[in-house]
Amino acid sequence: MGERIVIHPVTRIEGHAKISINVDDAGEVSSAQFHVTEFRGFEKLCEGRPFYEMPGLMSRVCGICPVSHVLASSKAGDRLLGVEVPSAAVKQRRLVNYAQLLQSHALSFFHLSAPDLLLGMDSAPEKRNIFGVLERDPDFARRGIRLRQFGQRIIELAGGKRIHPAWGVPGGVLHSIGAAGRDEILTWIPEALESMDVAISRLKPLLDSLPQEIENMGNFPTLFLATVTPEGDLEYYDGVIRIVDAEGNTVADGLDPMRYATFLGEASEEWSYVKFPYYKPLGYPGGKYRVGPLARLNVARSAGTPRADREMREFKQRSQGAVCQSFHYHLARLIEMLHSIERIQELMEDPEILSEHIRAKAMLNRLEGIGSCEAPRGTLFHHYHVDSDGLMKKANLLIATAQNNLAMNMAVEQTARRFVTPRSIEEGMLNRVEAAIRCFDPCLSCSTHAIGQMPLIIELRNHAGDLLHRLERS
Amino acid sequence: MRTLCIAVGNLLRGDDGVAHRVLDLLEPAAGVAFLRAQQLLPELSEEIARARNVIFIDADAAAGPPHIEQIAPRELRGSPLSHSMSPAEVVCLAARLFGFDGAAFVCHVPGIDFDPGQGLSAEAEANAQRATQMIGGLCTNLR
Repeated sequence: MGERIVIHPVTRIEGHAKISINVDDAGEVSSAQFHVTEFRGFEKLCEGRPFYEMPGLMSRVCGICPVSHVLASSKAGDRLLGVEVPSAAVKQRRLVNYAQLLQSHALSFFHLSAPDLLLGMDSAPEKRNIFGVLERDPDFARRGIRLRQFGQRIIELAGGKRIHPAWGVPGGVLHSIGAAGRDEILTWIPEALESMDVAISRLKPLLDSLPQEIENMGNFPTLFLATVTPEGDLEYYDGVIRIVDAEGNTVADGLDPMRYATFLGEASEEWSYVKFPYYKPLGYPGGKYRVGPLARLNVARSAGTPRADREMREFKQRSQGAVCQSFHYHLARLIEMLHSIERIQELMEDPEILSEHIRAKAMLNRLEGIGSCEAPRGTLFHHYHVDSDGLMKKANLLIATAQNNLAMNMAVEQTARRFVTPRSIEEGMLNRVEAAIRCFDPCLSCSTHAIGQMPLIIELRNHAGDLLHRLERS
Repeated sequence: MRTLCIAVGNLLRGDDGVAHRVLDLLEPAAGVAFLRAQQLLPELSEEIARARNVIFIDADAAAGPPHIEQIAPRELRGSPLSHSMSPAEVVCLAARLFGFDGAAFVCHVPGIDFDPGQGLSAEAEANAQRATQMIGGLCTNLR
C-alpha cells in the first residue's frame, strides 16, 4: 500500500507551506507536491478602494518585499494617470528597489540558507539557524546582518520606515533621499562591497563540495523569464521581457510587460492557494518557466557594472547553455547583491538624486493600468481596472513566487526521489527537500509571520490516513 | 547612549501595540533612547550594542500586572525561523557579534485583545500606565 510523507510547515521560508511526498507500493518516492496553505485575498480586499490608495495597501502584501509591491502598484497608477514620471522620481524608485533586493537577498542567503551551506545539510537541526552560522563564522554572520541592515537603512531613509514603506505614489514618490541620507549611504559602500567579496569567495568552494545537491535538487530544463534593457542587460525597474530556454536560446524578446496576459497564462490546482503561471505558447504545464536571480542572470547579456560583470561572466561558464541547477540561485543572489551595491553607488553619485521634482500630478486618464518590476524573487505584475471615479473594480497580482511554482514542485519531487528513503527517514533527507524550496526563496507572505513559532512536523501516513511515523521539531 | 528602550508590537493588532503606548508615555530623559519595532530582527543587534543597557517592552497575553525581568544576554535558544526572534536571541547576537555586555531587561505588559484593529483595551491602557512608571524607575536606576 502506498504512503505519504508530509513536511508541515516548511521552515526558513517566507510564509506557510507544506510538502507531501507520496510513496508507492514498492516503497519508492512516486511524486511530491509543494502546497501553499495560507490565503490572503488582497485582490478582493482592494476592490472599491480609490486607485491612489493602492501603493499603500499593496505595501502590506509582504513584510520582506513591500517595496516591489509599492513600485508595481505605483507604476500601474502612473498608467492610470497617463503621466510621465519625473526622472528624479524614477531614480528614487530604482534606489529603493536595489536596497530591497540587497536586504531581501541578505536575509535569504545569510539567515535562511547559509546554515545549510556552512554547517551541512545533515547538521543538527537546532544548529541550522543564524546562531549556528554565528558559532561557525562570526565575521560571516556579522557581515550578513550588516548587509541587510544597509538595505533596510536605505529603505528607511527614502521611504520613512524599514517595513511597509508607502512613499511610492502614482506619478512619483513622496520625498527624496536628501543630502544627509545620500552622504550616509555613501559611507556604507566600501564595507558592503568588501562583504560581497567575502561572501562570494566563501560560497564558491562550498558549492564545489555539494555536487550531489547541485545536480539533484532542482536541476532540469525550463524556460527562464526576466526583464532586461532593450540592449539585453540586467534591468529591475523598467524594460522589456525576454524569455530563454534551457540551451540559452532566446525564445521571445522585446515583450511588452503591459501585454503580459497575451503570453502568460495562470492555471490553478485544488491542492494549493498559489496559481501556476505558464508561458502560453507552450501550454500548461509544458510552458513552465523560472524567474528570479537565476533567471535574470540566464536571460541577461551582462550586468552593466564592472564587479558584477566579472562574476556574471564566470557564472555563465557553469553551463553550456542556461544554468539550470536551482542550487545556483544562491550564487546568482550574491551576484545581484553585488550589482545592487554598485548601482546604489552610481545613483548616490548622480546629482539628480537630490532633485525635489519627484512627482507628476494628473486626474484619472485611463481605466486600466499595469505595472511591473523585478522583485527579489522575480518579475512582478500588478494589473488594475478602475471605474470612472477611480475606484478599483478588479486587481490581478501575478507574483514572482507563483511563477516559480511549477519549477518548485519539480524541484521537490526530484530532490525527494534522489535523497528520501521512505523506509528509514532521516532528518537530513527531509531538510534537503526543504532546502530545494529555499533555493527559490519563496515569499508566501511573511507579514502573517509575526505571531508564535511554527513547529516542523513530518508525518508518514498510508493511503488510509493511518499514522505510520512522526518526527517533530520545535 | 546609556539605555535603549525598544517597543515591540503590531499597532494593528489591538493590545499587541501596547508597548508603543508605553513609549508615548515615557518622559524623554538624557541618555535614554527609544526605538519602535513591529517584531525583533537580527539587525537590531548592532543598535543594541551601541547602548549600555537595553529594555524590551512587549505585550503579553498572560494575565497579571506588568512586570520586568532581567534576561541573560548570552542565552541562546535557536529557532528554525530566523526572522521571528526573542529578546534573548537578539541580545545574544548583540553580545556575540557586536560586543554588547550590558544589562538586558524585558518589560511584559499584559493585554487581553489581540484581534485585528487599532486602539487598546482599558486593561492594556492601565497596564501601559503602570509599566511606564516601572520603566521610568528602572532607567533612573541604570544611570
